[in-house]
Amino acid sequence: MSVTFQSIRFGAVEIQEEDVIEFPFGLIGLGGLRYTLLDRNPGTGFLWLHAVDEPALALPVVSPHEFFSTFTLEIAPEDQERTGLKDATGAQLYVTVRATPNPLDITANLRAPLVIREGHGYQVLNMDEDASLQAPLFTLPVEQRIAS
Amino acid sequence: MLILTRRPGERVVIGDEILVTVMGVSGHTVRLGIAAPEGVPIYREEIWLAVKEENRAAAEASADALPATPPETGTAQPAQTPAGEPTQTPADEQAADP
Repeated sequence: MSVTFQSIRFGAVEIQEEDVIEFPFGLIGLGGLRYTLLDRNPGTGFLWLHAVDEPALALPVVSPHEFFSTFTLEIAPEDQERTGLKDATGAQLYVTVRATPNPLDITANLRAPLVIREGHGYQVLNMDEDASLQAPLFTLPVEQRIAS
Repeated sequence: MLILTRRPGERVVIGDEILVTVMGVSGHTVRLGIAAPEGVPIYREEIWLAVKEENRAAAEASADALPATPPETGTAQPAQTPAGEPTQTPADEQAADP
């Protein structure tokens, strides 16, 4: 069965009911209990995590492993207890993205990734020491860095 | 704001289900033990504020804010190594290997 919701960014959006992801605790400081992932920029690696019940609530996300080869997720003990997730086995992982006009300034939040499994999603704290709140998504190739 | 004075070992009860225990005080540091129902998220304030700010900033993006083409074809490339570290290609490795 399909579900149609309104988006201030994309107008009326139709999705399949099974594509609705329940976030029992919402996103930290933002709320939203039901989201879906929209592929509006095919081929770029960016998806939109869009609230189904709030037309204005949507965040760009990427898969951390696609952009950060050394990304590691160590779920905080209190989050493990709260979500029942010991690790990310069998889960889809995403990180939120701060979009900026200059691609080199785009950052991803590796500190609080989104873990989605079996239709349920959670924003958890990543205890990995290298997990930055604002990790640059892109870097210039070495030769361009030297030239500039 | 309600302000209470408590000694180590004493507690504060919030509602019927949240118990905050002062575990100990050492200099300027207070250790708290918090018992809350499963599902009540508990964060250190600075982490909560920082993540909230990142979420809020991310949610401000307009529909056309993202790169329209895969950035690999543009001037940028995915940050496959932590920022600031030079990328080593397999060719570099071979060259370094006598």
